[in-house]
Amino acid sequence: MAKQTSIQGAALETDKRIVAKDVGLVYKIRSRRKKENRTLTALEHVDIEVNKGEFYALVGPSGCGKSTFLYILAGLIKKTSGALYINGHEIHGPDLDRGIIMQQYALFPWRTIRKNVELGLEVKGVKKEERERIALGFIDLVGLSEFADRYPYELSGGMKQRIAIARALAYDPDVLLMDEPFAAVDEQTRETLHDELLRIWEKTNKTIIFVTHSIDEAVFLADRVAVMTPSPGSIKEVVDINLGRPRVSGHIKSTQAFSMLRHRVWELLQNSGETADAGAGAAADFDVSEVISESAVL
Amino acid sequence: METKEQSRLFTAYQKSVVIILVLAAWSVFPHFMKNNMFLPPFLDIMQTLWEMVRSGEMGKHLLASLRRAGIGLAIAEAAAIPVGIGLGWFARFENYLDPLLTALRNLSVLTILPLFVLFLGIGEVSKTAIIVWGCFFPQLVNTISGVKNVDPVLIQSARSMGMSNFSLFQKVILPGSMTYTLTGFRLSASIALLVLVGAEMLGADFGLGHMIFHYQQAFLIKKMYCGILVMIIVGVVVNTLIARLESRLTIWQDKGNAH
Ligand SMILES: Nc1ncnc2c1ncn2[C@@H]1O[C@H](COP(=O)(O)OP(=O)(O)OP(=O)(O)O)[C@@H](O)[C@H]1O
Ligand SMILES: [Mg+2]
Repeated sequence: MAKQTSIQGAALETDKRIVAKDVGLVYKIRSRRKKENRTLTALEHVDIEVNKGEFYALVGPSGCGKSTFLYILAGLIKKTSGALYINGHEIHGPDLDRGIIMQQYALFPWRTIRKNVELGLEVKGVKKEERERIALGFIDLVGLSEFADRYPYELSGGMKQRIAIARALAYDPDVLLMDEPFAAVDEQTRETLHDELLRIWEKTNKTIIFVTHSIDEAVFLADRVAVMTPSPGSIKEVVDINLGRPRVSGHIKSTQAFSMLRHRVWELLQNSGETADAGAGAAADFDVSEVISESAVL
Repeated sequence: METKEQSRLFTAYQKSVVIILVLAAWSVFPHFMKNNMFLPPFLDIMQTLWEMVRSGEMGKHLLASLRRAGIGLAIAEAAAIPVGIGLGWFARFENYLDPLLTALRNLSVLTILPLFVLFLGIGEVSKTAIIVWGCFFPQLVNTISGVKNVDPVLIQSARSMGMSNFSLFQKVILPGSMTYTLTGFRLSASIALLVLVGAEMLGADFGLGHMIFHYQQAFLIKKMYCGILVMIIVGVVVNTLIARLESRLTIWQDKGNAH
């Protein structure tokens, strides 16, 4: 079975960076109160195709499975059905060709900023001097050179997120997977980070899959915005964002093209959002911390 | 406005003034007692201590005690840390073992002292074993908590880079559980000293606990006090050293000056 799909995978045209075919995911949930095991379908029939170097945004109501999908792409959760490809090869687990940037920064508190950025390079087996050189380069790219030898607790949220980006860039993955990376920073910092991210993206030519709650953010940043249905999530429609580049936030956001695209995405979310809370509610009486610790041990 | 030098002097003053007053009182007060046999003046005790140090008697006892406590603690640490990491990681096992661990942990060392004597006699083995027993559980429990409290987000982040299990263990689990493990170490070390004295009072040829007990029986009260004083000093030194180690190893932690 696995063999068969990998043969299909090899035959896949490779001008696409990421391809998902009919991906589904069912969580098994153990209830603390009730004895019986239940399941929750988080994703159903998810199909996407992401081009090389594309900035691809994913929006959808809370609980529709955006994070779940990103974690599957990262190889941290195993899909229940369907097939996933990167550069035409099937995705089997985590690897350095993808870098995930989580909302909680996930910096290692006992490592200095430089050592944090070096982590992926250590896994890659890069020599010490080389690691240092590369890490400092990327710390410089996100504008935090003077913090290289500090510890994460000395940084603000926005700075930590920039370091998380530098860390993912340092080991040179083809794809950056970003899960609401700027949700926890204030509006002004977010705009700065947007400009910076676009600058870095243009410079490094990475493919970016960007999950967000914010319609504005998605439309401003992305080449295409995929709108998801409520739980169980699938792709409802993909909107082309033909706004041209480079984009300057103050200017673009006041154009009519921007508002129209913004409205289009909003509409799609609107008439899919009626049952938005049902999915989130379904899992509410389960012990989330238990669920999280289980999946962490996988 | 205070200068740094001044505030440092003030801290030293704050820390020493009460102790100096107590010792001064201890030096003077016994002279006014009708019978100060049970509470000799502090300076007399210091003189005895000096003699005991010079004759090498104190050194012999101190060394015997430190060796015993050190060996017991080392064995306990060497066992508790790996077992704790294993149990913390495979949370499933812990569910089975937890009731037993809770029961054993709450069993005071003194309660089962007779059991150790029964099985192992009153020799060196029995004394070391009881120290091992006393040190094992605090370290075990803290190591388990440490591993269980490693942020799952960090584990996922490390995994997302394709990190092997061995690297994950070395680069994430060990440093991530460090604070708890060190707390366990500090607890275990002070318990080692506590249990040591009890075990030595059971009977031994050398050791501070034995010495204190022996001189009390022999009514050599000044020498008994010397043993107690040295025990206090050992406790303080051990604690200070471990606190130093802790703050050196956890330099990356927000020590709260941001709040
Ligand atoms: N480890 C898990 N075990 C069981 N159910 C889970 C787990 N993680 C998420 N879920 C459930 O799967 C669904 C999708 O969750 P997910 O976190 O992917 O949503 P999301 O789109 O990222 O939401 P948000 O926008 O709020 O971050 C939710 O109903 C959630 O309760
Ligand atoms: Mg999410």
